[in-house]
Amino acid sequence: MASDFVTIEGKSKNYRAAVIVFGILALIGLICFALSYVFGHQLFGSSNTIPWGMPIVLAIYLIGLSAGSLILSSLTYVFGKEEFRPIARMAVLLAIVLIFGAMISIAVDLGRPEKFWRLFMFFYLNNMTSMFAINGILYGGYFVISLVYMGIILANQKQASRFMGILAVCWAVLVHMGTGAIFGFVAARETWFSPIKPLEFLSAALASGLALLIVVTLLTLKLSGRSINKGMIASLANMLRMFIILLFILIVVDKLTHLYEPARDATIFMLAGEYAWIFWVLQIGLAVVLPLAILFHAKLNKTIKWITVASVSVVIGIFFERYYLVIPGSAYPLHFYPGKIEGVYGAVGTFQIMPAEMGLSLGILALLALLFLLALRYLEALPPKPMESPQPTAASPAPSASATQTTG
Amino acid sequence: MARWGMVIDLDKCTGCQACTVACKEENNVPYGSPRENRQRTEIYWNKVIAVSRGEYPSVNIEMIPMPCMHCDNPPCVQVCPAKATFIREDGIVVQNFRRCIGCKYCIVACPYGVRNFNYKEQAEEKYHRPDPPPDRSVIGPWPFPTRTHGVVEKCTFCFHRIDAGLKENKTIGTEVVPACVESCPAKARFFGDLDDPESIVSQQVATRGSFTLKEGKGTHPKVHYLPK
Repeated sequence: MASDFVTIEGKSKNYRAAVIVFGILALIGLICFALSYVFGHQLFGSSNTIPWGMPIVLAIYLIGLSAGSLILSSLTYVFGKEEFRPIARMAVLLAIVLIFGAMISIAVDLGRPEKFWRLFMFFYLNNMTSMFAINGILYGGYFVISLVYMGIILANQKQASRFMGILAVCWAVLVHMGTGAIFGFVAARETWFSPIKPLEFLSAALASGLALLIVVTLLTLKLSGRSINKGMIASLANMLRMFIILLFILIVVDKLTHLYEPARDATIFMLAGEYAWIFWVLQIGLAVVLPLAILFHAKLNKTIKWITVASVSVVIGIFFERYYLVIPGSAYPLHFYPGKIEGVYGAVGTFQIMPAEMGLSLGILALLALLFLLALRYLEALPPKPMESPQPTAASPAPSASATQTTG
Repeated sequence: MARWGMVIDLDKCTGCQACTVACKEENNVPYGSPRENRQRTEIYWNKVIAVSRGEYPSVNIEMIPMPCMHCDNPPCVQVCPAKATFIREDGIVVQNFRRCIGCKYCIVACPYGVRNFNYKEQAEEKYHRPDPPPDRSVIGPWPFPTRTHGVVEKCTFCFHRIDAGLKENKTIGTEVVPACVESCPAKARFFGDLDDPESIVSQQVATRGSFTLKEGKGTHPKVHYLPK
């Protein structure tokens, strides 16, 4: 199977332009990070009411994408479904890049990022009752396991990749359930405190990971001039449909249990307060209603274009699910004492969109895109071009040059 | 070992905020601008909230001073990944700034909102106060030399006063009290050993129907309130 996968050549104009643009954006992110490190988190929009801002939104979002993507690679390497083999390597590659981004996001959100290593002093300097410390083990282990997994896949070890695949998938499930537990185990916040949160996170991970995988696959294959296997995309879209329904059920159950609780003010605020439009329009609309409408439509769910629309909508919608969970989810004031708390302590928290925070978030995303592009250049992750494989390599320079138009 | 606790008599409290100011003076907690106050990025180790019930003309306003509750079962200690916040043998929950990585998980987990993130470097020239010499016999961060942004801060029950007082064989609760208790003009606050039935806090807790905030959360706070 060694010759099955190739790298992109990376000599086209588009590829270089993309690398340069993403590089500049990542540099801007680095500058924003340096500023926030020097001047403190006053440059961010968070406050003591809403302690976590965009970097944490991004972190849990990227972890979800990564875990979902890695779980899907198991279709080939564990369950032996050959029809998904062309995208399996890309799935693992994407998972590694995304978990790296998630760890960076967490690190830049720390008040003292230089003490990041303290999260990885397992059992020695860490308090192991903290979900953060447990997730330190999970994320670190996940990163190492997926690197080894990628190495084994690149070396074409079939038996070993099956074994590592099983391990990596189990670990990925744990990683994302652990991330959900960070929120689900906090008893002080009514909207977060729920045993369903880990499962909800897992289903969101599967849906968003699969959707992103579809988008990236289509984009990469198209821009690098490879043919797209329609049947494969359609069966991925079928799977996406299932994950979205699962996610929707869990969201509904989660909200319902909170509405039945005696302390339900916060949930009512979430569903009907000033941020409720994020939930109804961006989360439910983009992540559930629109993709389901497209994917259940008899004609639209067969065309690549509409599947792409549905996938992009899921990717964006689940981003807003995370945003909605982290930022409006903690905005509702805590009730310290029965009655109406006057002044700032009883007011709904405000979250400002701050330039440094947004620059930082964009920078992290650009860095990930850059890493992914570079990885495609140096690792054999793409399926070969069908037209090239029967011909000898040095056939004609002109078509191959046009065919190496790559991702952008 | 003593189990330090506080009793706040809401009937006596006038909401004058003397405790808030005294706490800021004692612990070198920086003052913030009105904008920072509105955004809730200003640091308060002790805050006084106003709670209203009813509508005008039948309305009642209560002032509730809220220091750290120093829970017996603190959620912040449970969630801190870096062992930066811990509960001392005498029940005081303290924050070690040198270990704190600033992940803000404890702010999220605290049901009383007493934890504050330090959002900016403090203007030392404006708020400078000569620091007491470091006491090497007390293992911990106190008294810390300088403030640093990016860590979480909270009320400490002025444990530097308690530790110093114990060494000088003074009675804690009468001779030595935290700054907020000392400054209260209405004498609405009491401090002492909750385990000692003779102490002033035990006596105060027994006088009227005392309560703690958010009893349902099972945190068992050591700050008790007497009703209005």
